[in-house]
Amino acid sequence: MVFLRSEEHLTRWLDANGWEPGATITADKMNELSSVWWWTRLDPGWRPRTSQESQAILDNLDLTGEFWQLG
Amino acid sequence: MEAFDLDVRRHVYFSIVANGHPSSVAETATAFARDVPEVEESYRRLHEAHALVLHPDSVDIWFANPFCFAPTPHRVTAGGRVWTGTCAWDALGIPAALHTDGEIDSECACCGEPVRLRVDEGELVEGADLLVHILVPARRWWDDVGFT
Repeated sequence: MVFLRSEEHLTRWLDANGWEPGATITADKMNELSSVWWWTRLDPGWRPRTSQESQAILDNLDLTGEFWQLG
Repeated sequence: MEAFDLDVRRHVYFSIVANGHPSSVAETATAFARDVPEVEESYRRLHEAHALVLHPDSVDIWFANPFCFAPTPHRVTAGGRVWTGTCAWDALGIPAALHTDGEIDSECACCGEPVRLRVDEGELVEGADLLVHILVPARRWWDDVGFT
């Protein structure tokens, strides 16, 4: 999961490595996801999330479709 | 997940926040007055449960997401320390996990030019128009988490 400066740089990077495209989101959207995903990581009472709970985080941020399905 | 494993994980993460690096197996064994092999097994169970990630064929911690303990291009300044983020997602996750503001100094994966992002009270106030690319579909994120 990498940062890229533009769509042009993304295309060049994929082509240079011979990779099929995955999913592209803005850093702003990734920050939204990170804020929710990692917020509780250091909580003393942390417990592993269920797959359904993790999927709900993605769904609530409209990260939907086959690519974003955890299982 | 066993109660002991949750305690070990909590100790590892508290060590990261307090010291900037995770406690070793020997340090954790001392903290819990347990034998080293017991704690090694706990680290391995936590790895299998994706609660932390060990270096291959080792009980040394590679990353305890979002914190990484091997070089990556993602340097994160937050909470009075400089951290390493495992990837773009985790780099932004460090300020979130610490509940603080942060600056991420990284690079464009294509050209290597430096990029900077800044999180202020949860909002991305610098670098918001950068792109993040995820190559691997979600169901395969843990197949080869180092590549993901």
